[in-house]
Amino acid sequence: MSAEPPVPLAGLVDHLFRHAAGEMVAALARLLGPARLDLAEEAVQDALLRALQTWPFAGIPDNPRGWLFQVARNRALDRVRHETMSRDALQWPGGIVDLAQRGDGSDGGRIGDEALAMMFMCCDPALGRAAHIALTLKLVSGFSVEEIADASLERAPTVAQRLVRAKREIRERHLALEIPLPRELAARLDSVLEVIYLLFNEGYAAHGGENLVRADLCDEAIRLAQLLAGNPQTDRPAVEALLALMLLQRSRLPARVDALGDLTLLADQDRSRWDRGFVEAGLRHLERAAAGTEISPYHIEAAIAACHATARDAASTDWRAILRFYDDLVALKASPVVALNRAVAVAMAEGPEAGIRALERIGDDPALAQYHLLPAVRGGLERRAGWKAEALRHYRAALALRCSAPERRFLERQIAEIESELSATAPQ
Amino acid sequence: MAQFLVLARDNGDPRREMGRMSPEEMQRIMGKYMTWSTRIRDAGHLLNSNKLRDGEGRVLRRAGGKVTVTDGPFVESKEVLGGYWLIEAADYAAALALLQDHPHIELWPNASLELRQVHDFTQR
Repeated sequence: MSAEPPVPLAGLVDHLFRHAAGEMVAALARLLGPARLDLAEEAVQDALLRALQTWPFAGIPDNPRGWLFQVARNRALDRVRHETMSRDALQWPGGIVDLAQRGDGSDGGRIGDEALAMMFMCCDPALGRAAHIALTLKLVSGFSVEEIADASLERAPTVAQRLVRAKREIRERHLALEIPLPRELAARLDSVLEVIYLLFNEGYAAHGGENLVRADLCDEAIRLAQLLAGNPQTDRPAVEALLALMLLQRSRLPARVDALGDLTLLADQDRSRWDRGFVEAGLRHLERAAAGTEISPYHIEAAIAACHATARDAASTDWRAILRFYDDLVALKASPVVALNRAVAVAMAEGPEAGIRALERIGDDPALAQYHLLPAVRGGLERRAGWKAEALRHYRAALALRCSAPERRFLERQIAEIESELSATAPQ
Repeated sequence: MAQFLVLARDNGDPRREMGRMSPEEMQRIMGKYMTWSTRIRDAGHLLNSNKLRDGEGRVLRRAGGKVTVTDGPFVESKEVLGGYWLIEAADYAAALALLQDHPHIELWPNASLELRQVHDFTQR
């Protein structure tokens, strides 16, 4: 038989099920109350399963989202009826009737509202950071427990347990499924943006896993930020800045890994493979981020990403401008990781030895003790400075820490190269 | 050309029934079915297909001059006849070739396809 053709399915956009799952859970939970999240999730799962068992024979309906919403609504209705029959007190919220109609996208704003309300509830400060991530991926993004476990490099039962506990917290604390009021918004938004950026970085760096890049997670983080940016209630400069930052970084993903799945450093990347569409969208959002007076760390990081994205080639990168941005960033958000990145900029602007001196100042920070990039970056600078023995020592130290398989291969390659250089120049 | 009925039987899948499949996974599976049926349709082999309603059906019998109707057929196993495709092919070998990579049997370990040729009395 012929090889399987690429699958551009009529009527089925990419990730339709995943995105619709999040929207449907949010819409149902809004109507049933956040205490009934499980029921909402079951009804949605039933609807997707129903589609899976029907569409292969009947074909994909003209309005697949509407179809799914309708079935999910009916499932939820059936379950509530079943439960309340004995109590003879069916109080079904009237709004449910509109639910399926909204599935056709004619009232996309409302669906966005519900998804955003869900995002804020998932990232409620009353819950822990790990719960924020798991809940957001499960309820807003439509990931399964296994997919979340893959994304966060944890075991599925751990994730499942965390979700159960978090949902109990939501019930017991009566967390609201609402977009926060304007006066609370900025603070609550911080936590949401932090989770989104964590997701993005998890996809971008993929620590410990085989795949260096999981574009899926990056794209989902971008989608969540787009939801926030697309709603006038939540479209704040920091949202635009984070969106710009992620789009600019996302543009480099195709060039970040070579055909063998190995890491390619920024300086060595084939810039013709950078996705110009993402670059342009990123620059557009960066411009919008400049509205108002608010400057968030995302603004500065996006500005740095823009310097890279607009440099014709590695050599014409304006490292002095980048270094100034890093100085701003350190002033705004001093963190060891920021200091590490700043040291790289110092090295590029002022030479490797200056970079090494900057690294030495942060070398003892306990927060970076297990961070493989600290010795890896140091090894790289020492190699450029011609200090081969030191470079070797630090590359080996990096290799002893947790890193992704492609990063591991990169480090091994550096070590092998230095070793052969050393043996070639060693006295006989 | 002969017509064949392809009956899709299914014995359930634990991950599916436990609600453990992710939406993304379900869409991927859906894509496989649609790829198959699109290919068969574009090649002119697909005449018709339908889903049968789950969990219901009637069996009629006539005994002692009286018609009895029972719910069913519910065989002892949890096997379900989910739906069917009506396809056109030269002969059994050609029909089987169309089903070689059918997602229904690729995806569900407990599923089967039953292929039955429509008896056409105009042909010998």
